[in-house]
Amino acid sequence: MLVLLVFPLVYAVWLGMNFMTFRTFNDPVFVGLDNFKAVLVDPAFWAALRWTLVIVLVTVPVHMVLGFLIALLLDQVKGRMRAFYLAASLIPMIVVPLVGTIVFKQLFDPPGLFAWAYKSVTGNLFVFDATSMKQLILVHTIWIITPWAIVLFFAGMQTISQEQVDASSIDGANRWQQVWHVVVPHLRPLILLTALIAVMDMFRLFDNVFVLTRLNPVFAADTVLTYNFRTAMTVQRLGLGNAIAIILVITIVIALLPLLYVTYRDQIKER
Amino acid sequence: MRPITHPLARLGLHLVLWAVVLYSTLPFIWTTLNSFKTKRDANAATPQFVFEPTLESYSAVLLKSASDNGLLIGFGIFAVLATLVVIGLFAKRIPLPTKAIYWGITAALALIVWSLPTIVNTAEFYDNFINTIIIATGAVIISIAIGAPAGYALARYTGISGVVILLAAIAFRSMPRLGYILPYFQVSQDIGLWDTYVLVIIVLVAVNQPFTIWMLRAFFMTVPKEIEESAMVDGASRFGAFRRVVIPVAWPGIIATSLFTLLIVYHEFILIRVLTQQNQTLTVAMTQFLGGVSVPGSVPRQSAAAVVSVLPLILVVLIFQKQFVKGIGAGAVKG
Repeated sequence: MLVLLVFPLVYAVWLGMNFMTFRTFNDPVFVGLDNFKAVLVDPAFWAALRWTLVIVLVTVPVHMVLGFLIALLLDQVKGRMRAFYLAASLIPMIVVPLVGTIVFKQLFDPPGLFAWAYKSVTGNLFVFDATSMKQLILVHTIWIITPWAIVLFFAGMQTISQEQVDASSIDGANRWQQVWHVVVPHLRPLILLTALIAVMDMFRLFDNVFVLTRLNPVFAADTVLTYNFRTAMTVQRLGLGNAIAIILVITIVIALLPLLYVTYRDQIKER
Repeated sequence: MRPITHPLARLGLHLVLWAVVLYSTLPFIWTTLNSFKTKRDANAATPQFVFEPTLESYSAVLLKSASDNGLLIGFGIFAVLATLVVIGLFAKRIPLPTKAIYWGITAALALIVWSLPTIVNTAEFYDNFINTIIIATGAVIISIAIGAPAGYALARYTGISGVVILLAAIAFRSMPRLGYILPYFQVSQDIGLWDTYVLVIIVLVAVNQPFTIWMLRAFFMTVPKEIEESAMVDGASRFGAFRRVVIPVAWPGIIATSLFTLLIVYHEFILIRVLTQQNQTLTVAMTQFLGGVSVPGSVPRQSAAAVVSVLPLILVVLIFQKQFVKGIGAGAVKG
């Protein structure tokens, strides 16, 4: 792990301090911290970061609430139907994100099902513009990550002991109170884990934005990573690209600190 | 929770769940329909639900040139596959060791996959399919082989530094791919490993190792210490107890972790895109059917490629669905 992960990371920081393109790959010019400075004064970077933050703040809570509710419903069903519902709701998570995006886009493209429904209801053609594209990205992202929350919460609910629930109902708790006072505290570690993983993944959102926008600047929907990809691969500022990646890592770690701290405290308490 | 008993409430429950099913599968169903359409049907202004199905786009995606007796060969392959599935479903009733039957089916499948290019003229997309199998299998096996001892050690070691290592593993998982793609790219070009299976497998293992260790540790924590202690009292070494006692008990967890690793490896796009040219996986090769910004790709072909590239993964996960869900339950609650 040290050789394969730490070394590339250190090397990436070093590359972030150089100027190079694919042609001058083997004789980089050392420019010190200029790359980092260039990124931090670029308005496009701040726009990308703002949009990424919006994605994180919308998708993480929404997918967790949605996943929790669906898991609660699934918990009510037994037997064959449960396996069927579960299998079907897993599909968005199994399908490769790239393919999932294509599949989703086909619904909204002109001959697609949704575009047709939209036209017959409102009378207008469905067009991709900056607003609808951003909404589409949010909807698709939620679609793709909700199954994680469903599976994790559902699995957690199977470990709740029936006595605990019964005891609370003897105390006069109704169904919602049971959910709030028995189920949610029991799932606490899971909720933390789900939030942790989701925040991490949402900051790194790339595949679906890449396919949906094809990096077309019209939509102004760059996340930090697509902005990074554009800088590194399209414009070929490799050093600059690495600088962005390093800045993103620092941002993610800062965003995760509270969650990591709570996890750490729980872990210590467990021992 | 006690199940709801009111009949109307139960009806509503099932209706909502059906809505969830539709919400999850509708896009994929629509694409599957598209893949059987002709180009004209797929681009029709009103969506066509009833149409004459055609296998045209599948043969365009998978074959270089359609052979004369293609239908016959296709039917033959389908018959063989169907037989294998039936054998697999009734494996428990056949008076042979069940394990041997499953291994036999796997071997037969591998034989078919590998010998197909000699029978029909397959296109490059089929090679990508074989690449995917090799890379995914290699990465999963190596990840588990490294992750199992590491996860076990972390589960049994109770010092503070164990927690620190785990948190470091999580932090590494959060790194964006573009951050370390250049170092891998440059070093692999220098030592001549670029565009090889070995490189891709090594990189995928390295990238996913934190996750594997984290998840396997959670599973090993659910194995009671007493089991291995009694094995050691009976004269087994620590490693012997791990191999003979702990691994079998934690086996469902290992299967679940393998499935998740498979999922992540299969989903990987950007690393493989940059590190390979010829030996791409399906996920990356898929993009050639997308078309450009102004020139849209052919919808049926794109759909056929989409179906071909995710169907194997969906089948594998659904076959092991029970272990998948149970595994997450056992692992995640503890972790």
